Amino acid sequence: MNKDKALEELFLAQKPQFDDNAGFMAAITRRLDAVEYVRQYQEATIRRYKLAMIAAFVIGIISGAITLAFILSMPTDIPLFTIHVQSGILLWLAENSRIISATILALLISLSLMSIASNVHDIMRIKKERSLSSPISVSATIGSRPTK
Amino acid sequence: MTREQFITLVEREQEALRGFLLALCCGNKGDADDLAQDALVKAYLSSAGYQDRGRFRSWLFKIAHNTFLNHRASIRTTETLDEARILISPNAADGSFEHQSLYLALRTLPPKERSAITLYYLNGYDIKEIAAITDTSEDAVKKQLSRGRDKLKEKLKL
Repeated sequence: MNKDKALEELFLAQKPQFDDNAGFMAAITRRLDAVEYVRQYQEATIRRYKLAMIAAFVIGIISGAITLAFILSMPTDIPLFTIHVQSGILLWLAENSRIISATILALLISLSLMSIASNVHDIMRIKKERSLSSPISVSATIGSRPTK
Repeated sequence: MTREQFITLVEREQEALRGFLLALCCGNKGDADDLAQDALVKAYLSSAGYQDRGRFRSWLFKIAHNTFLNHRASIRTTETLDEARILISPNAADGSFEHQSLYLALRTLPPKERSAITLYYLNGYDIKEIAAITDTSEDAVKKQLSRGRDKLKEKLKL
């Protein structure tokens, strides 16, 4: 396809000149600084969540293992703990010590699993928000165009 | 790509980018600069995926073009009203560019034709490059150029 000379000359004659390049660059630098700050904050948040997740996992496993080992190490015909007080509730606790220990163990493991699941969910959400908000939708913006 | 490398490349290309967007925005310098800033932020955020093949400007133009189309899509409902306001305003048309016949003629073109014409005549890209930037086929670009050129010549009485 050949260029239309008249149009080409018209475009070239009206090629804009910008006299505020320094201002424009200062503005974009400020915006990039802000973007960088947000990005670093998000990365720090994700790192914190990952650490919390690992801590929850380790604490859950260790606590569970210790409790389980403690329960298993006790003879089955003797209560896990005895309370030498003649009180209805305390006697009931002593009689059901094994069940109570198992319940506490289950609770600890459940809490750890919930904490891990919550942190994974939060990390996924942050990553999703980051991909939507900028590059935001950068990949989306670059790769796709609006439909009519 | 580091932040410093990105800024160095942007310093070199920003005038071309702003000129391209100024033409797409038909001389509205405020909108053009806002879109240029948005496009540059998007480019920065995706600069990790940029592979340096000496085509930074084309890559930037592609992002700018999509930013412009997204912007157009978002303001489509209020656009007619805004254009009417510009036409009746006494100090209308932001700056000297707005009254220039070329920008007024460009305003009558659909965005895709406007992009193709601007990239071809203002920025000097060939059809293959325009197809890559606008993410369309070469045949489609040829049609857009042909239609756009006819309309412009008619409006400008060339």
